[in-house]
Order: sequence, then C-alpha cells, then structure tokens
Amino acid sequence: MGTIKWLRMLDPLRNVFEKFGVDYPVMRKILEIKLLMDGRRAPTLLQKSSKNADPATMSNQFIKSLWIYIVLSLVLVPLVAMKMNFMFQMSLVFGILMFMITTSMISDFSSVLLDVRDRNILFSKPVQRKAINMAKLLHVAIYLLLLTGSLTVLPLLVGLYRHGILFFLLFIVEIILMDVFIVVLTAALYWLVLRFFDGEKLKDIINYVQIGLTIAMTVGYQFISRLFNLMDVKVAFTAKWWELFIFPTWFASSFEWLLGEGGNMYVIIFSVLSVVGPLAALWIYSLLMPSFERNLQKLATHQARGKMNRLRLADRLSVLFCRGNIERLFFRFSWDMMGRERDFKLKVYPQLGFSLIFPFIFMFNILRSNSGFAAMREGRGYLFVYFCAMMIPTIVLMLRFSGSSKGAWIYQTIPLRDSAPIYKGAVKAMIARLFGPVFVFQAVVFLFIFGARIIPDLVVILLSVLLYTVISFMVLDKELPFSRPFQNTQSGSTFVFLGLMILLGVFAGAHLGFTFLAYGKYLWMLLLLVFNFIAWKLAFRKGSLNHLTYD
Amino acid sequence: MIETAETSKERVISIRNLEMSYGSKPILQGIDLDVYEGQIIGYIGPNGAGKSTTVKIMLGLVEGYQGEVRIFGRDIADGDIEYKRRIGYVPEVAELYDSLTAQEYLGFVGELYGLTQRKADHKARRLMTKFGLEEVYFDRISSFSKGMRQKVLLISSLLHNPDILFLDEPLSGLDANSVMIVKEILAALAAEGKTIFYSSHIMDVVEKISSRILLLNGGQIVADGSFEELREQSHERSLEQIFNDLTGFHEYKDVAASFVSIVQEV
Repeated sequence: MGTIKWLRMLDPLRNVFEKFGVDYPVMRKILEIKLLMDGRRAPTLLQKSSKNADPATMSNQFIKSLWIYIVLSLVLVPLVAMKMNFMFQMSLVFGILMFMITTSMISDFSSVLLDVRDRNILFSKPVQRKAINMAKLLHVAIYLLLLTGSLTVLPLLVGLYRHGILFFLLFIVEIILMDVFIVVLTAALYWLVLRFFDGEKLKDIINYVQIGLTIAMTVGYQFISRLFNLMDVKVAFTAKWWELFIFPTWFASSFEWLLGEGGNMYVIIFSVLSVVGPLAALWIYSLLMPSFERNLQKLATHQARGKMNRLRLADRLSVLFCRGNIERLFFRFSWDMMGRERDFKLKVYPQLGFSLIFPFIFMFNILRSNSGFAAMREGRGYLFVYFCAMMIPTIVLMLRFSGSSKGAWIYQTIPLRDSAPIYKGAVKAMIARLFGPVFVFQAVVFLFIFGARIIPDLVVILLSVLLYTVISFMVLDKELPFSRPFQNTQSGSTFVFLGLMILLGVFAGAHLGFTFLAYGKYLWMLLLLVFNFIAWKLAFRKGSLNHLTYD
Repeated sequence: MIETAETSKERVISIRNLEMSYGSKPILQGIDLDVYEGQIIGYIGPNGAGKSTTVKIMLGLVEGYQGEVRIFGRDIADGDIEYKRRIGYVPEVAELYDSLTAQEYLGFVGELYGLTQRKADHKARRLMTKFGLEEVYFDRISSFSKGMRQKVLLISSLLHNPDILFLDEPLSGLDANSVMIVKEILAALAAEGKTIFYSSHIMDVVEKISSRILLLNGGQIVADGSFEELREQSHERSLEQIFNDLTGFHEYKDVAASFVSIVQEV
C-alpha cells in the first residue's frame, strides 16, 4: 500500500533478511499493517489530548508523544553532567531509564505483543512463522529505537560535551544492551504471569502498570527541581555483593571501570554482567519462545472462576450508608463497576495517586523552608489534607463514563420512577470506594505527625469534603453513572472546575479562620453538619433528577 | 456410505486417528475422516465437543496433536505451509484488525494469500459491492455492525478463490436476505468442486445446505452421513431431534419445565 514511506529504508536489507529465510515482502507487509494500526492507537501519556481527535489526526499519536519523553529526559541531564562518581550517577541514570522504558513498553506496547488476533488472522494464512516473528521483532525494535532515542538524545549530547567521545560511545553501547535486557525481562514477566494465571490477570497487571506510569510521570516532575540539590552531595560509592541484583548498577559499572576510578572486583564483575546478562537473557528467551507462544493462547480464555464471597464489604457499607433498596442497589452496582472496569481505573486511579501524594509534597516544601519538624508539628500544616479533595470534581464527572457504556440501556428498561436514588447511591459509593481509602491513609499519617489534637479537625475536613462532593454534583452536568463512552470526556465545564477549585480553597480558609476562635472548629463542625443535611436533601430530592436519556 | 459414492472424486482431507488434549483434558479422542471435493459438510456437535479444535488443527493454529492429518494428499505436519494458500477460513469469533478500513484489511489478507495488491483491492471492492457494502469500503471496521463484519470476514476468506472453506458460524449476525445470498453462494461454490466445512449450532440451516453431516460428541464422530441417511438410522424427523438423540439429551422438556417454574416464583 505504501502508506508508510520510511519503511523503504529497510529495503536495502532485503538480502540479509532473505538469507535468514524470511519472506521479505510478506514480513514488510505485516510490519506495515502493524505500524498503520499503531498510528490509530492512543498512547497512555497522551490520552487526555487525543480524546476528541478524529481518525485522520489520530495517526502517529505515538510519534507525537515522543516530545514528552524528551522533556522527561531533562531529569537525566544533571545526573549525566555532574562529575562526581560514575558508579553512583550512572546507576541513577540507568535506573530511571529502565523504569521509564519498561513501564511504557508494558503500558503502550502490550496490546501489540499480546495481540491474540494474530493467531487466527496470520497463522491461518500461507505465511511462514519466521516472517511473522521477524515482523514482530522489528516492530518492537522500531518502537524501542524511537522511545530510547528520544529519552537519551539529550543525555547523550550532554555526556559528549562534558565527558568526551569515549563516554558517548560507551553510553550508546550500554543503552543498547539495556534495551535488549528490558525486552527480554518484559517478555519473561508476561511468560511468568501467563504461566500461572490467565489473560484476565495479565490485563489487570498491565492496567496497574499503566496507572503507575501515569502517576510516576506526574510526580516525577515534582522531583526534578529537588534532584539538582543532589549535585552538592558527596557520595562515596563502594560496591557490595547485593548490588548484583540491582540491574542498573551493571550498566553503570563500565563507566566506573573504564572512565572513572578504575575497578575493584565487583565493578569488573558488574561490567562483565552488563554484556553477558542481556546476551544470556536473549538466549534463554529464544529457548522459552515456543512455550511463550503456547501460553499466549491462554490470553483469549478465562479459566479462573470468580470466587463467591458471601459477606462482602460493599454489602455492609451499602446498608450502613444508604437508605432504601434502590439506593443500596446502585451503591453496590457502582462499587463493583469502579473496581472492575479497567478503562475506568486507568482514567480515575491516577487522580487518586495525586491526591495521595500532593498533601505530602506541600508539607515537605514547608518542612524545607521552615525551622523544622518540631515547629511544623505545632502548626496548622494538617490543613494540607484538603488537597486530597482536589480529585472530587473530576471523579464526580468521571462517574458517568464507562468502557461498556452501551450497557446503559438497562436504565431505560427498568421500572424506576425516580432516578435520584441511582445518583445518590453512585455518589456515595464513589466517596466510599475512591475517596475513603485516600482519606483514611492521610488521616493516619497526619495523626501520626500532628498527634491526636487534630481529630476534630479531621472530622471537619471530612464533613467539608462531603459537602464539597454534593455541591460538585449539583453544579456539574448530570448524567447517569457509567452511561457515556470515554471518547467524549472533554466537556465545556472548565470554568465550573475552576470555580470548584476556588470553593475548596474557601473551605480550607473557613476551617483556618474558625481555628482562631475558641471552640471555633466545633461551631464550624456543627454548621457543616446542618449544611450537609440540607445540601444532600436538596441535591437528591424526589423528582429533582429526570430520567435522562443515554443515547 | 458416502465414501463409496464419492470415490471417483478427489480426496481433499484425510484424518487418521486424530487425538488432542489440553493438559489432562481430552478434546479429540480418535477422529477418522475422509472428505472429498464438492462436499458441503455440516460439522455439528454440542459446545466443547471439539469442532473448533479439529478445524484449528487443520489450519495449523493448534499444535501438539497425535495422529495424521493430510490435506490435498500432504501431511500438514511436514512444515510446508503452501496448502494454506488453497484454504479459506472464517473463525468463530469475528476477529479482525478492526482499526483498519475494509479496504486495508482485505488488501492485506489478499496479499498474504499471494494476490497482487491491485488485484486484491479490485476484487474486494466488487465483492463488497455485491454485499451492499460499497459505501463503507473506506471506513474502519470498528464502526461496522456484526453482520457487516461477518460479510468482510466471508470476503476475506474467499478473495484467493480457495478449494477448501472452513466456516465457523458463518451466518451469525446476517439478516435473512444476506443469509439467502450466502447459502446460494455456498451451494454454487460446492457445485464448482469446492469443499466446504461448515460448523454451526443452527440445525435448520445445516439440515438444508449440507450434503453430508458429521456429528461430533465427546471428541468422537458419532454420526456421519447425508441427512436422509441419518434420518433413516435414527427414526427421527428433524436434525434437531437426531442431534438430541445422538448426544443423549432427552430431558429438554423437563429442563424447560423446571426453568419456567423457577421464573414464575417471584
């Protein structure tokens, strides 16, 4: 079809491939189709911006996402630039590189490596396995080349400038070895999971890696500035035997050995391992390949039967928090949907991650600028817990989305006069399942830091957040839970969101204000109770919410 | 039986003592089968009887079987995959690369079967038009309905004019008019000497279009013959009844009755 022009660059190698017994035209065709399909996939990091993209502009989303990796690689620049201890700084560099490449391999490329359709579509055609495997290999190689290239182009140039050509060349060699190692490691991970579990479990694991990647990337930015401070630190590195198992040190050792202070025994062993390790892994991988292919068949099947659990947490909570059977029913329904649906988790759980981390980031900033831990304990730093409510408007809005939104026809067919209990149950389940654990975690940590005196404050915060949730629900557009596809997450409520963020500030401010009054916080607590009572009644009063269509 | 009547024709598939198991679970327990050109074989059996597995073994999708499978006279285990060039396949689940357009997908499959790109495109487009899908030829398959996908799959299995067709529930999702067309197509292809291996759960269709019916149960062939022959042997009137009879399932009335009684308790 010739849609992907640059594949012609492979053509001069045609003879090489054919020498290995690969049917070149067929392999190129498969590779081309695979790349074409990639262009129509949105990578994890760009999900937000690509939501409304029409098919034409969707192409090459991955290529467009590469600039993010170039920006991210800025973290590595000071680490490469400093002239301190090669073992230390390059271990960090390779540690970060390995983390980034492995996670994005798993999150963005698993669907490619684990495409079960290949079996039925390709294997049933008169195509040699060799051609299929070679196409797969090249596909991964191209992807890794682009990913690694954009992550390392800046560090490589900085290294060339600071440490000279030898460093530059060594860096390239070690990066290639690392890539080989990562590919094999990832495949081994899949192999292990598939061997003991089925495809569903693997999809879950990939899902969690995607969530982790999204959180790590965002939090990573927060630490860039802090990393610069490391440059003043003097580190004396002495290799120890257990570092044998920390793979990044392998790749850093050669720098220490050849360019740094020379090597002791460990440094030399590690350096050798950085070459032997990846090659050995590759050899083992080629041995395991047939077993891997066989296990891949399990992806399509689901063997593990679901466990039947009688006394479920959701059942008890629904009785505790909800009145009326319909409300309880939708509490349990929403609880299950939020926990099961991978798309939903991928979109929402990173938000939870931020909520979990932001209060601490702010607290550490205080800690650094202020006089110290003891002084902070006396202060009102616990008000940072309010930051964890930043997720509330987003998840209230997200509650309407689902990967299986077509199932929402069920709302129209059930004989339900009033849809208020549906919303009420769903919002309560959201608080219990998503906000609850985050808040409990924060409360425990902050209690540990500030002592029992903040218990009333935590109650105030909880009441504020409950009120905040119901207000968010009232001002945002209402749609039945899990009734919209993720394609149109973009909505015109930016200003509403801004307003809600300010409102959260108002809540925190009010709390702060009342703490200056004697018994102020108890008064505020009482007022919040009354406000909550009124707001929840008002938001979910009978007939206030029409049966909305889901189309 | 059928074999004696058909010996003048070429034997395209020959299976001897085929056994297969997943782990400790036996799937196929000794299948012997000869198929001649021009036959439309209705391959039926309860879920888990091993129908799909048999087809997948013949296509080389599943390995690790025991016994011998010969297609066009050659053992398929000999490593030569050329026989696949004369086979068309419609899998049970409508699996295709649905982020591609119909044109891209059909062109791709055509090329894998060795057609030139232009020829595959030209042919695919005319076949799509015959199915009333010319409008969506340049649209992504992900936007297609179930019936449209099924039509794309049928076309993709026929582009290279194969001599054997393996069809797994080929009519699922098609409307009544399209079903008529496809049935006619299959009959015409068989008349041209093509062999069609057709598996389905819809007994009425199998009864009407098959020249030979194979009933699989518990990994063994329990009936083999034309519909008339099977009817004579079992003294039942419809294929559905023969199916129930041979798979040892008689209590359908009891099951239905107790099902309804559970429905009625509120």
